[in-house]
Amino acid sequence: MKPTGILFFPAFDWAISPTHPEREERLLYTRDQIFEEGIMDLPQIKEYKPGLATLKDIARVHFCVPDVEAQITEAHLVSAGSALVMADAVISGEVKNGFAIIRPPGHHAKTVSHGNRGFCNINNEAIMVEYLRQKYGIKRIAIVDTDVHHGDGTQEIFYHDPDVLFISFHQDGRTLFPGTGFMEEAGGPLAYGTTINIPLLPHTTDTGIHYVLDNLIMPLLEEFKPDVIVNSAGQDNHYSDPLANMAFSAQGYAKLNETLAPDIAVLEGGYSVETALPYINMALIMAMAGIDYSNLREPDYNPARLKEPKGNMERIYKMVDTQLNTFRNREEVIEKNRRSGELFKTSYERIFYDTDYINEEQRNEVRLCPACGGFRVIISTAQHPNGRRYHIACIQLPINACSTCQAQARDAYKTFNSDTYDIVYLQDRVKDEYKSIITRTGEERVL
Amino acid sequence: MLIGIDVGGTFTDGVLFNRGEIVSSVKKPTDEENLKNSLLQVLDELLDYGDPAEINRIVLSTTLVTNLLATGRGEKTALVLLPGYGLPHNSYDIAKETYFLKGSIDFRGREIERLDNQEIDGLLDWIKSSGISRIAVASKFANRNDVHEKEVKKRILEECEGAHVAISSEISAKLNFRRRAATTYFTAMTGNPWNRFVDEIEEALKIRGIDTDVHVLKADGGTMPLQASRAKPCETVFSGPAASTMGGSALTRDTVNSVVVDVGGTTTDLSLIIAGEPLYASRGAVIEKQLTHVNSFAVSSIALGGDSVITREGVQPYRDGPAACFGGEKATVTDAFNIHLNLNLGNISESQTKIGEIAAQQQMDTAALCEKIVEYVTHRLYSTVNEMFRQWENEPAYKVWEVINQRKFTLDRVIGIGAAAPAMVPALAEMMKVEPFIHPYSPVANALGASVVRPTLTVVLRADTQTNKYTLDPGGIRGELEKPGSFQLTDAKEMARQYLVSAGQKLGMKEYTADFSFFLEEQFNMIRGWDRVGKIFEVGIQVAPGFIEEFKGVKI
Repeated sequence: MKPTGILFFPAFDWAISPTHPEREERLLYTRDQIFEEGIMDLPQIKEYKPGLATLKDIARVHFCVPDVEAQITEAHLVSAGSALVMADAVISGEVKNGFAIIRPPGHHAKTVSHGNRGFCNINNEAIMVEYLRQKYGIKRIAIVDTDVHHGDGTQEIFYHDPDVLFISFHQDGRTLFPGTGFMEEAGGPLAYGTTINIPLLPHTTDTGIHYVLDNLIMPLLEEFKPDVIVNSAGQDNHYSDPLANMAFSAQGYAKLNETLAPDIAVLEGGYSVETALPYINMALIMAMAGIDYSNLREPDYNPARLKEPKGNMERIYKMVDTQLNTFRNREEVIEKNRRSGELFKTSYERIFYDTDYINEEQRNEVRLCPACGGFRVIISTAQHPNGRRYHIACIQLPINACSTCQAQARDAYKTFNSDTYDIVYLQDRVKDEYKSIITRTGEERVL
Repeated sequence: MLIGIDVGGTFTDGVLFNRGEIVSSVKKPTDEENLKNSLLQVLDELLDYGDPAEINRIVLSTTLVTNLLATGRGEKTALVLLPGYGLPHNSYDIAKETYFLKGSIDFRGREIERLDNQEIDGLLDWIKSSGISRIAVASKFANRNDVHEKEVKKRILEECEGAHVAISSEISAKLNFRRRAATTYFTAMTGNPWNRFVDEIEEALKIRGIDTDVHVLKADGGTMPLQASRAKPCETVFSGPAASTMGGSALTRDTVNSVVVDVGGTTTDLSLIIAGEPLYASRGAVIEKQLTHVNSFAVSSIALGGDSVITREGVQPYRDGPAACFGGEKATVTDAFNIHLNLNLGNISESQTKIGEIAAQQQMDTAALCEKIVEYVTHRLYSTVNEMFRQWENEPAYKVWEVINQRKFTLDRVIGIGAAAPAMVPALAEMMKVEPFIHPYSPVANALGASVVRPTLTVVLRADTQTNKYTLDPGGIRGELEKPGSFQLTDAKEMARQYLVSAGQKLGMKEYTADFSFFLEEQFNMIRGWDRVGKIFEVGIQVAPGFIEEFKGVKI
């Protein structure tokens, strides 16, 4: 039996700010717990050394403003790079699955990155997914976001991608950051049904979450048949998390990962650093490695106190039914959208960066291509904390784009190069080439 | 004058060292059944060249504990575990007789589950009926709070006559319950036989009129006073390879990246010296397939030595007497090198004859066979060294700067140690494209290394300004901080340094504690809500492996 890969990168020398929840101490007690357990010594576990992502790995997913270097610290390169190390280990078959216990996190980072949102600048899972596609030609990927906050960044990045199934269950957006993740958010016109949201009411327990897992998530995965399953593994559904209000337990997390059986799990949020994280991280490692976890629990665990509120289950049953239909009817809806006669589908979005206090305005256009998922153009405007205002044009060409989309997208990169925009980007995943040009000087950078 | 004696698996080596020169050296076959005799035989021959009154220090390195554990001759020992929540009990496959108790401590040393007195009564009954008198007790996070271990120990000593109890918090302050439990178990198991050995050595030295410092070599390349070894016999495992590594370092005394290749009769031990510092095994010494908290050099041992026998099937992983050129019956690796490199060792015609016989059986030319053997041996050493580099470069890292400053090892030199080193090491160095280093003292560098290394000592302080508690190890000192509000990293470091000095005094090594270095400096702000509620400090200070003041290098 192959071991489970573990990459533990606590970034003991990095914090957003001295008293921010995303701080040096965050994985200290997890370190204590997993090292004291000696779990890395077991034959079922293989520990990996962190790696570094390249600027190109990041540019494959993000339009960083004004450039990649401006949006990251070295810690981000290590965190994203470590997800890639874990992915390589799993795909090469060295390990049966892998868990990257890394920080800083990433699931709130969207395609365009003007700054830090929800403690995230760049999206570790998305960078890993595009890396897997580029390096190994992997086609279908499922990301299950088990963080208590809606994985809005990951959702947006893959919203128009029918080959990535993104499922997020989280505390209802009416009660928690980032305020999105409702059932209506089901994917772009040509990728409808491969974005599935399950907003849960506060105080949902193991019972509720496991019902969703068994009756919605697992059937969807079975039907979607992904080549790789990724758990975007937040740990803040826990009953003791200080920033959220759910009632999930370490046992619940262990069972979730046993059932879900992700190929790769990547740590996201979770800020109950003493009373939850040490135990949840142990739970994930043990479940993924097939180690009996019945003796694992939090010191204050009292299942009698964690009862599913009345009425919650009724609501969950209905959501599960609705979302099964959303997924199962997706091809019909997509066909209808394709025949709508429109050339481009336009949408507008306002994005608030809570950490950096930035307001971004976006216009999104997706080509309703008859042959592929279509290329995308994002026009984005935002004023950065340093006072500079950026108006940029981003062109995104998916890896499996058809020849027409390729030609049009590359053309657009030339035509957009005018005074109208400060920077014009072309994310050409077909060629694995990432260009940006500063229009004022004509200076072009190719990654 | 200094004496160093290394009782190895095949040979016992000893040197009498004075003012940069080896006055006398002795090599005797080791009597596995009576290590003490082998040791004293070598000591007596050395004393022929020196006045016992002029001996300043004797350092011993012995395989006794390693042998006791490998042959299962340690005493029958029970392991009592208090693992609390976490891994299932069946994952602790350390001891045959394992008893589990309730009671649990968390990572900050808080009690989260009490001991169950009835359960302890059951344990006491079981101990009494089992006839086991050696007990090892280990509780998870006992390094943060030893209250449970101490209570269990107290109950056993009160009610079980003749019982000896070792507790894990006194063995190591490091995280890793499994390794602490295993180390405590092996300590309990070897305590009696090791103490008998110490008694006998003391008696023998007294008879010989030797009244001087006697130290034992540890796996970490440092020494500890013979008396101090009574409580920590496990520290003496793998001291042989440590002696060789320190011997290589003593002969070169610089900061060049080196691999030390100690070619023995049956095995070859390889270790790394990086920028002048020997490399430690990051996961501790492996004893009987269990990882332990014994701090040890990273040594790779391969079953291939100068006397490894050559048959038609190739190089064999065993020895059967010396090389043919030195009067042995069998063709050996040394003979093949002797011919191939025309080394003129011993009686080279005997090498020709014995290797020639095997070549004839294989219808091969003698020279061609030798070339093949030399290539095979050099390649095995080469790939082992490369694997060691790779492992070192791939050690996990937990800080950003450690990852950004990626490790890359560039080798500058191969240091040959052991009798067969002059034959085998130059070829390896050539393959690695670096200089070989062979010294006239290379054959006894292990004993030389033992004779001149200084004691080592490690102290770890952990302080938590929210709970207001600190712990100091070794010794398991626990107390309350006087001024937690203003306690800073500099205070933590000073507290650790003072404890190093006082612990050194107690161990009879006070002259060494002035040369200390900090190997661990951690501080974490504890944030609850958006406020800082305290700080956690962990500081490690050590007297690192090095040489005694008296040693100024070798003269030639």
